[in-house]
Amino acid sequence: MPTPLLPTPDPHSPRISVLSLSVPVAMGYVPLGMVFGFLFVQAGAPWWLAITASLLVFAGAAQFMMVPMLAAGLPLASIAVATLVVNLRHVFYGLSLLDKLPKQPWARWYLVFALTDETYSVLTTLPPGTSTRQMVTVALLNQGWWVLGTLLGALIGAQAQIALAGLDFALAALFAVLAVEQWRSADSAAPLWVAVVSYAVAWALVPQQALLIAIGLSVMAGLLWHKTGVKELTP
Amino acid sequence: MIDIPYAIGVIAAMAVVTFGLRALPFLAARFLQSHPLVQQLGRFLPLAIMTLLLLHTLVGSARENPSGPWAEGVAAATVVALQWWKKHPLLSILTGTALYVLLRNWGP
Repeated sequence: MPTPLLPTPDPHSPRISVLSLSVPVAMGYVPLGMVFGFLFVQAGAPWWLAITASLLVFAGAAQFMMVPMLAAGLPLASIAVATLVVNLRHVFYGLSLLDKLPKQPWARWYLVFALTDETYSVLTTLPPGTSTRQMVTVALLNQGWWVLGTLLGALIGAQAQIALAGLDFALAALFAVLAVEQWRSADSAAPLWVAVVSYAVAWALVPQQALLIAIGLSVMAGLLWHKTGVKELTP
Repeated sequence: MIDIPYAIGVIAAMAVVTFGLRALPFLAARFLQSHPLVQQLGRFLPLAIMTLLLLHTLVGSARENPSGPWAEGVAAATVVALQWWKKHPLLSILTGTALYVLLRNWGP
């Protein structure tokens, strides 16, 4: 998910800054959570399962990806691998927070669990010396927005008999938005072209498993890209 | 309908994988920081994966659309252009979805 532009927190009013940091996240999480809850229920799942997913998984893009995969009845292992790939970037979030997160086990591990793109961007924006309580409050608020949105969307989805075809295009639109933001911040468009070629090849080989094969091809291309040294690392 | 035990299994697997990834740096910080291949994949994959997810959902929609893939193409191009220009995710998503629903239901 794209990183929201966050206001600079005022170190003299920490209580207000924690809330104000969570507001832009709410503006993104409530509507997007609604879209997730809505689509999940429309795909044939009960509303409480949508809430369970948002409580236990709490990963926007992966939860959206799971809707078509669940509906298609893909094997559990393939969905786990796809989740691994989609959320791989989260591995790098922790690296810059190793010293910043609180030492108390419950607070530390909840924050690790709740480390979405948005929570990460908020936590890295907090001034040094922010209390454990404030950090946990931000993460709890963020997850609260996501769960609230999911609940609203699931309830609407359970009531509505939607006759309009094409409402699930919201998913494609979300992926398009995320791709544009990744593209904007990438130092090369190579991954985009690799993905297009991989998908075309995978589609030509096995249309039913095109996504999984294309992900595999892209991972291999990503490894080779490094080895040939086309792009030097600039950490 | 979605099979409930299967869905619960999927949610549990996704929860474990997601938490595992987020916790990994705290368990293996030194290894990851020193491994250029991991960093390289982390820089390469996000754009590739998002592009693939976009292509896959577009192809899926186009296959269910009897009047061909042009509606998917137009709506997706609109989202990309709008997001590139305005940087407003919700605006891009709502406009693109509304346009697609319009084209799908009342288009030529």
